[in-house]
Amino acid sequence: MGGYSFHADNLQICVVMVGLPARGKSLIAQKIVRYLKWLSVNAKCFNVGNYRRIETAHPTADFFDVTNSEGERLRRVAAEAAIADMLRWFDEEQGTVGILDATNTTRARRTWVEGICRQHDIETLFVESWCDDEDLIMQNIIDVKTTSPDYVGQDPEQSALDFRNRIRNYEKVYETIDDNDLTYVKLVNVGSQVIINRIQSYLESRIVYYLMNLHIKPRCIWLSRHGESQFNVEGKIGGDANLSPRGREYARQLPQLTRQSVGDRPLTVWTSTLKRTQQTAKYLPYRQLTWKALDELDAGQCDGLTYEEIEMKYPEDFHARDENKYEYRYPGGESYRDVVTRLEPIIMELERQENIMIVTHQAVLRCIYAYFMNVPQDRSPWMEVPLHTLIKLEPKAYGTEVTRIKADIPAVSTYREKGSSSLKK
Amino acid sequence: MLSLSPSPSPSPPRSPALSVESDDDHSDDEDDHLTFYVTGSSPTPIPSRSSSSSIHAHHNDESREVFFGQDLQDQQLQGEHDLSPTQGTGLSTYHSELATSPITSVFSGPSSYMRSLMSDQPPLARGGGYWRPRPASSKRSSNSSFNPSVNKDAIHEPLSPTHMSPAQLYTTASGQLFHAGKICIVIAGLPARGKTHLAVSLTRYLRWLGVKTHAFHLGDYRRQFIPPNMEVPDDYFMIDASASTVMLRQRVMAACKVDLYRFFDSENGQVAVYDAVNPTAAGRRVLVKELNQHGIQVLFIESICDRPEIIEANVRSVKISSPDYAGWNENEAVEDYLTRISLKVPLYESMDMHEHEFSYIKLYNAGERILLNNTRVGYLPNRIVFYLMNLHIKKGSVYFARAGRSTERRPKYKSDPHLNEEGTTYSKVLADTLIEYRKKEHEARIGDGELEPNAEPRELIVWTSTRRRTIETASEFEKRGVRCRQRPQLSQMHPGLTDGLGTEEIERLYPDEVAEHVKDPYRHRFPRAESYHDLAVRMEPVILEMERISSDILIIAHVSVLRVLYGYLMACLPFEIPALEFERNEIVEIIPSAYNNQVKRIVLPGIPPNSSVIM
Repeated sequence: MGGYSFHADNLQICVVMVGLPARGKSLIAQKIVRYLKWLSVNAKCFNVGNYRRIETAHPTADFFDVTNSEGERLRRVAAEAAIADMLRWFDEEQGTVGILDATNTTRARRTWVEGICRQHDIETLFVESWCDDEDLIMQNIIDVKTTSPDYVGQDPEQSALDFRNRIRNYEKVYETIDDNDLTYVKLVNVGSQVIINRIQSYLESRIVYYLMNLHIKPRCIWLSRHGESQFNVEGKIGGDANLSPRGREYARQLPQLTRQSVGDRPLTVWTSTLKRTQQTAKYLPYRQLTWKALDELDAGQCDGLTYEEIEMKYPEDFHARDENKYEYRYPGGESYRDVVTRLEPIIMELERQENIMIVTHQAVLRCIYAYFMNVPQDRSPWMEVPLHTLIKLEPKAYGTEVTRIKADIPAVSTYREKGSSSLKK
Repeated sequence: MLSLSPSPSPSPPRSPALSVESDDDHSDDEDDHLTFYVTGSSPTPIPSRSSSSSIHAHHNDESREVFFGQDLQDQQLQGEHDLSPTQGTGLSTYHSELATSPITSVFSGPSSYMRSLMSDQPPLARGGGYWRPRPASSKRSSNSSFNPSVNKDAIHEPLSPTHMSPAQLYTTASGQLFHAGKICIVIAGLPARGKTHLAVSLTRYLRWLGVKTHAFHLGDYRRQFIPPNMEVPDDYFMIDASASTVMLRQRVMAACKVDLYRFFDSENGQVAVYDAVNPTAAGRRVLVKELNQHGIQVLFIESICDRPEIIEANVRSVKISSPDYAGWNENEAVEDYLTRISLKVPLYESMDMHEHEFSYIKLYNAGERILLNNTRVGYLPNRIVFYLMNLHIKKGSVYFARAGRSTERRPKYKSDPHLNEEGTTYSKVLADTLIEYRKKEHEARIGDGELEPNAEPRELIVWTSTRRRTIETASEFEKRGVRCRQRPQLSQMHPGLTDGLGTEEIERLYPDEVAEHVKDPYRHRFPRAESYHDLAVRMEPVILEMERISSDILIIAHVSVLRVLYGYLMACLPFEIPALEFERNEIVEIIPSAYNNQVKRIVLPGIPPNSSVIM
């Protein structure tokens, strides 16, 4: 089976985060990992802070003072441990993109990391987040850092102050990237200026493009399946059927349900090209866009059949699909992996946009949900996403919050458990 | 804020006179049943392409082997676009004059851009003909190759006011995309910094994305005022030019501006790429002010180069082929050109903190480093930068070949059949021919002195879709040690409910859909099928990677996919793309070049164009 890959054979990249504390490095690192893993690029984050905490669980600002040689030694030990683990991961688990999440604020430290990577034929991409806007820095400290494991159980105000002092210690030795032989991207004040140097591969350009599209404005994404369709009622998959009477009722109630959750925020609605999503969205009083990429997973020869019929006609296919639902491609149709490939531009555009509501289909919704909620590939195709339910996603610094809002309209279940051909009651 | 209408909204019906030609014999076009051929002339004013076709080989069987689609005139245009008259204080003087003088009066003769819009002849498609029904006999002869006109890179052709682009995602009430603004991308940089390549490539990409874009090269306008048989005034490129030369330069610039504003005001243009030196901060500030007064936003892209070897290579490859240097010794010509540039260097002011309020992108040494200033999360600047990160002055060729024939006479999409014997033979001939051809080309380059005698040949990689026929066709390359990669984005157009049906059956079952299809073969979808437009949108990542890769690429794919990729590289219009033909007995090679790409064909011996193998 043709695996999906962005990268040339054997390409391995270490993304090295650079920047003072409270510059959003960990957030960026996590988002890169989530984005790449969702695209089936083997990616993993190695946070040096986590290694350091094994030795020193609750350090004070003094620990980070450059003149504190014991602190310096322990931090170096932590960095070495993180890199050793990362190299092992590249080697044993055929990692493609490893992310070294640490401050890496000195030229010496970066040269050291780059040297180790070069020895192992790993390309380095430095990602520097540079910020001199005090308001942004303090906001980040209060939002994120005072809930950090370093400060568990401590007074928040004291924590914030201690943290600001910790940063001062780093500031003393901070050297911004200016080595033009390195591959790097520097984000200045959350993207008001961006410098991109020596991008070596398509995958790197993809990561940089992704970073350029990120913003930190608060926003929400609403997801809904189409209302119950005629095919849902008959237990058939695929097709381009009309809504059932109950599905039409959901369409009529959707504007009110949406308004309760959205309020007067501006909103854009995205639908697929299939009749059932357009019929579902037709009463929503917002501007609407139709995307072919949001169409349901193509079931190929099985399109229009019930699960019982598929099991009867294509027993081998039926069981092969249960074995590995993510990779399984319907004869003449698509796999979940194929759907993710075609959804990539949607995710990129979603990151750039603010409030969006998407009315789409079960498999597509599972894929989008998996991106925001970091659901692994062996689970995402099995997630239960009931009909007539509005899902609100609110991306926050450390993860996405979910709210499910059920419309009080009954619908058939379209959820099939593994190994069964009958739909759950 | 614009209100966006649901996408993709089909462009208006083109003509009531179009008719479907039914195709009696499908055996030769088994997997291409979605193409209906239409007759009649185009009702929308599609400007004709330049009629100069002096080196177009004609379509007789003998001359098809090597087929250059490049136009002599365009080759001449590769001259020094850069030595534009915007030096010193000229720019600001020009602007103050522009404000008071009637612009049209300085416009001494129609530009090619204008000529093509003003044509009083009934407009024809490129090459002087519109789509015709394929004569049944054409399938047996090799005359049925491309419409000759689409062998020419159309990137410099103007677009019609109602133009929709290959990968346009949606339209807006105003006919523009994404945001309300009109944008002028102002290129800045000294001569021989690859500005024209940048302007042309960006135009190609933005048009593809559905942004109505046109590039205005100031150098082209100079050549209109000073035709090749006339002497350029000696001081034309000098800082302290005479009063008459300064006036000439200002007339050249005014003519360019007339077209630029017309593009925005009367032709529904959204992005103009203004390709000139734009050397001074003061001049750029005046330009921003003037454009802003016209309601046009400005994004600067400055091309900076501090490596003499890149500059010299640029001069060698593009500049000295200009008619200005006809009959010169190559090295002397390079020397002369470099001297002319060096006069400008002390005057040139790079963009810096004094212009920090402007949105600009600085491009160092052909993309080695990119700096973005004040462009935060804008769709267009981000897209442009993503593209620029992958853009190289591309040297590698892109080859297109069809997949071999399969075990099914009319292969169904859903059955994804294997190659048959004929297909297997084809795959061997394909691999042998291309590898041999590349070997000969490499030797020829060494023979011409273009390459050092011990130079390594450029690497070849093969991309296929995830469909069996393409993978199996590529397997012969894999056996010969060539790297092959499968890409799901290259899968053929999904035929939906028309899968496995012939033209007649489709006409019988879906007469209304066929009528719609004929009106807009590019955007129309048969029930549950993909359109060419859908295909173009999903192939965008492949296109970017194609731009990045420096090795040669062979793409083995279904004809629907080849059409879309060819359409990108040759800037075909959407209505042209569905009718492009790819013979089974040839490889189509696209050779990239700064001003326009060229097409060449490589015949596969022993493989007839569209029928059984005779071996």
